[in-house]
Amino acid sequence: MSVAYSRRLFSAEANAHRKVAAERYLWLVSLAGIFFAWEMTVRSGLVSQSRLPSFTATVLTLASSLLDGAFLARVAQSFLNLTAGIFAALAIAMPLALFAGLRNRFDTAMTPLIMLAGALPDIALLPILVLWIGPGNVAAISIAAFSAFFPIYFTIREGTKDIHRDLFHVAAVFNTGRVNTFRKLILPAISPQLFTGLRLAYDFVWEIVLAIEIFSGVTGIGSYIAGAVETGGVREAFAAILAVGVMAILVDRIVFGRAEAWIRRWMD
Amino acid sequence: MDQAVDGLTYQMELKNVGKEYEQTEESIPAIQDVSFTLDHGEFACVVGPSGCGKSTLLKMAAGLDKPTSGEIRFCGERVNGPHPKISMVFQSFALFPWRTVVGNVEYGLEVQGVRKTQRIDSVRKYLEMVGLAGYGHLYPKQLSGGMKQRVGIARALAVDPEVILMDEAFSAIDEFTAETLREEVAEIHAETEKTFVLVTHNLIEAVELADKIIVLSSRPARVKRILDVDLERPRDRTRSEFVQTHKSIFALLKEELESTMIRRRIRKISEFGKLSDMEE
Repeated sequence: MSVAYSRRLFSAEANAHRKVAAERYLWLVSLAGIFFAWEMTVRSGLVSQSRLPSFTATVLTLASSLLDGAFLARVAQSFLNLTAGIFAALAIAMPLALFAGLRNRFDTAMTPLIMLAGALPDIALLPILVLWIGPGNVAAISIAAFSAFFPIYFTIREGTKDIHRDLFHVAAVFNTGRVNTFRKLILPAISPQLFTGLRLAYDFVWEIVLAIEIFSGVTGIGSYIAGAVETGGVREAFAAILAVGVMAILVDRIVFGRAEAWIRRWMD
Repeated sequence: MDQAVDGLTYQMELKNVGKEYEQTEESIPAIQDVSFTLDHGEFACVVGPSGCGKSTLLKMAAGLDKPTSGEIRFCGERVNGPHPKISMVFQSFALFPWRTVVGNVEYGLEVQGVRKTQRIDSVRKYLEMVGLAGYGHLYPKQLSGGMKQRVGIARALAVDPEVILMDEAFSAIDEFTAETLREEVAEIHAETEKTFVLVTHNLIEAVELADKIIVLSSRPARVKRILDVDLERPRDRTRSEFVQTHKSIFALLKEELESTMIRRRIRKISEFGKLSDMEE
């Protein structure tokens, strides 16, 4: 094979790779299109600036908000409440779900009740919860944990039920102790469902945490948005909403994206 | 034959093993009074009609299930649970999908607490033995059925057991691959001199591999006959001795199936009350 030929072959291959890589970022083009349309709608005067700030104005406000310590503290507060809620839900749901997945009796005794509780509208529970424990971080964390509980419980339960019996036999044949059966069999086996559950919970909880902050005045990014709107700061409100969206996507990509890549390596 | 001669103990011994499940209304035992012995290095095949409880018998030998009567002994010691010297191969392969080939093979050693540097040597050795050298980094989903079972066999061998129990180990693999794998298992058996017990419904497979074939009856499973297979190895399916042995076991099982069918019919008739009326 001549050097020229192999070089051409190589460059053709590199081009093909570049093309595929470029196509992966096609969504950036559509996103830019949306931002452009937003900008033009406002600039053309179709919508008044006091109702909808332009895209550039929102981004500039966000940039200056990010330098504002109070704003960052609010974002951090919401994020902490949300994370604490999810971990609390995980701590309660995990043992229950594992038990339900492994013991049919427990499952038939517990799961219908949990389904019933899950059917309760969590947003409607907000005012009652605030009445009981007062507006504050505890209330925010409690409601976050409540709405995170169900997706986590049901996905882990499903994952545990799906573990093939023979895998438990393998663990037993090789004398795997209880702790190792959990660490080396159950935990990796349920990990795909566990991450699905956490991801769902993460989405649900963002909404509920913002809701309690907006409606019950618990300090956080939600109360910041509500306050901004009341005082006519539509721009600040939009900037905060954008910040929440960007942060949600970043965490999703960084935390769950990695887990997903690991799972995709071995799962069918 | 029940007693060990001159203080010698059998590698494995089943004494009047029975298994009864309480749930069934008719309370027909699944397994009844099964006794046989295995010598060190023997290759035994357990055959019987499907659903007769052969797999349950194997699970009890592995310590995964307990007999409701009788006992199972390994080297003279009663089997009360999984034993480090008894290993198992599964019909479903039962590999951990999140572990690579190497990770699956070293699993048994890992939970025993053997260090990584020491594990790697035996992992390499057994991967080579099953013909999977160079595939260690792959995940189970990247392997064919035959390769998966090779991993299953390597995993069972890696803990250096004395007995390897195989539950329908070749049944979920396409026949062509299964045939090569059977030949390799016969070679591994000759090479390692470990005791093998294979539960199967494939009679040709049994005649091809076994030193001893234990034929079970249909439910409740009892020992119908124990045959020694004295054909020279490697075995050739087309030789007349092979065909003869296969025929005789086939006849035994056929007879068993027919008598079960008759028994079932009689039970059905008596359920209608016709027979019980006649008895009165």
